[in-house]
Amino acid sequence: MLTVLPRRLLGAIPVLLVLVLAVFTLQKLAPVDPVAALVGAKASPEVYEAARHKLGLDSSLPVQFWQYLTHAVRGDLGESSVTRTPVLSDLTQFLPVTLELLFVALVFTVVIGFFMGLATAQGWRGSGVLRVMMVSGASVPVFLACLLGMLVFYRWLNILPVTDQTSYVDAPTGPTHFLLADSLLAGRPEVFFDDLYHLVLPAFCLALTPAAAVGRVLRSSLEATQRADHTRTARAKGLGEKQILIMHSLRNSVGPVFALIGLQLALMVGNCILVELIFARPGIGLYISRAIDKADFNAIAGVTLAVGLLYVLTNIAVDLMQSIADPRVAL
Amino acid sequence: MAVAEYYVPAPLVRYRSRIGFSVRQYFHGTSVPSYIAFGALAAVMLIAIFARQIAPYDPLAAVGQPMTAPNAVNLLGTDTVGRDVLSRVLAGMQSSWFGALAVCAFGVLFGGLVGLIAGACGGWFDAVLMRVTDAFLSLPGPILALAVVAAIGRSYTHTLIGVAIVWWPLYTRIVRSEVRRLKASPHLEAAKVGGAGWWRLMYRHLLPGAIPVTIVTASLDIAALVLMVAGLSFLGLGAPQPAPELGSMSAQGVTYIFSAWWIPIVPAFAVAVIAIVANFAGDAIRDRIRDR
Repeated sequence: MLTVLPRRLLGAIPVLLVLVLAVFTLQKLAPVDPVAALVGAKASPEVYEAARHKLGLDSSLPVQFWQYLTHAVRGDLGESSVTRTPVLSDLTQFLPVTLELLFVALVFTVVIGFFMGLATAQGWRGSGVLRVMMVSGASVPVFLACLLGMLVFYRWLNILPVTDQTSYVDAPTGPTHFLLADSLLAGRPEVFFDDLYHLVLPAFCLALTPAAAVGRVLRSSLEATQRADHTRTARAKGLGEKQILIMHSLRNSVGPVFALIGLQLALMVGNCILVELIFARPGIGLYISRAIDKADFNAIAGVTLAVGLLYVLTNIAVDLMQSIADPRVAL
Repeated sequence: MAVAEYYVPAPLVRYRSRIGFSVRQYFHGTSVPSYIAFGALAAVMLIAIFARQIAPYDPLAAVGQPMTAPNAVNLLGTDTVGRDVLSRVLAGMQSSWFGALAVCAFGVLFGGLVGLIAGACGGWFDAVLMRVTDAFLSLPGPILALAVVAAIGRSYTHTLIGVAIVWWPLYTRIVRSEVRRLKASPHLEAAKVGGAGWWRLMYRHLLPGAIPVTIVTASLDIAALVLMVAGLSFLGLGAPQPAPELGSMSAQGVTYIFSAWWIPIVPAFAVAVIAIVANFAGDAIRDRIRDR
């Protein structure tokens, strides 16, 4: 365990290098001239050259890449050409909102996915509906789920809010930018619960597709384990079905589910942007769509790097969890 | 001196039509749900091909009052500038469907070729390629595709390019692992002993073995591709307005969800229909190929 983590972290370095290289290449491919974006189209040639030198764009490509890389490692992701603030400080403001949503969505994914997988594998009453849901869940675009959710839970039932993070205008804004944490730190539990209340519908919509996938995988892996020899032994010993399921089958079946959750995270991060856009949550989704509108590539690059880093780290964590759940999984 | 006669195998059964025979053999044992899935697939294909002909109105022209609810004249209503939603959705289905097919075809051909070469050659070439695909697969695809499109500029073609760039490594992995497995099998050794050249080994003895699993993966990927392209288009990374694209049409209508639900819902629903049909057809194809 203690040797595995450093090894995995070392293994992530080449992947992150490729990520930085890819983002750097894209920045070079972009038709937008970053110097002109900084000084304006009407700047005199001297000003233009000075800005070009200041940005380091007059050196050779490998040197530029090295500069980009060293800056990125130190957390200097350049300046957003729209807000004129460092991208990193923008990220510390917008990313926590997204992470909050992703975290709650992940909890929903696991809970709903496990419920669907268990129910269909055990053949509970009404599980036929769940099976259809699991098959079609992977085909519903997240924005359709969001729009239908808005219509049903806001327009018709009027039980769930659909915009922003909280209805409190005086909600705490620091120090972590995680509203769930900030509200508790500021001693405002009502904001905490209001934030959770606002998270329910977006997180549920975001969790729908991955939950269906988790349910499908858990179902097939449970069915395989239920037929395994050790389950027959357990049954022969006279253990109850419930005990067999919890003690013998479930733990042996969660390995593939963890692997799948790691993969589904990529999809969830992408879908998260759409969900935030629809529910007007001030996260990286809103930030990046504004950046796309204004062709602000520094901001897009910053988001890509940050999300890529988080994704790689999360997958390492997921792998570790998988090996804890099932020690036979070699890392 | 007796000379051995040539042995001429007698035809066991004579079929009138070879094509009829193979079609019958192909569909032998196909279950009812997969017939339905294939039928739906054919329907989507036909709609996609003849979208412009089926569409009752010009998808780009205003034909009625803005934001008319679905009625007998405009079956699915009109959008904010009075264009017919049904006509626009049909045109959007066309571009979504063929876009996803194009990306998939590129992924299979390019990724498959790279995987075939890597698997067949082995050595450092294989090692380098696998590290590259590893890196690609361990990064979040949708975000990378987004960054690619944002960098090279917004257009539908660029969206497809962006998605294709993050999609091909998957097929490389699949084809490569199949080829590696086949390389160790006796039939390849037999072919080598039989004097088959490197090229012949590749396309006659390694490639055919990798085709079934690639087809299955590809057919199950179409739905995911449709969803991803629609998602990017929803973000505004597709063809600029007023092109009829399902994602961007839905995005344009989000503001009107409570006053004119059909504007955002209908295009989103069309995406879901394409994806569901593609998923079920993919499942049916997988069942067929697994059976054989």
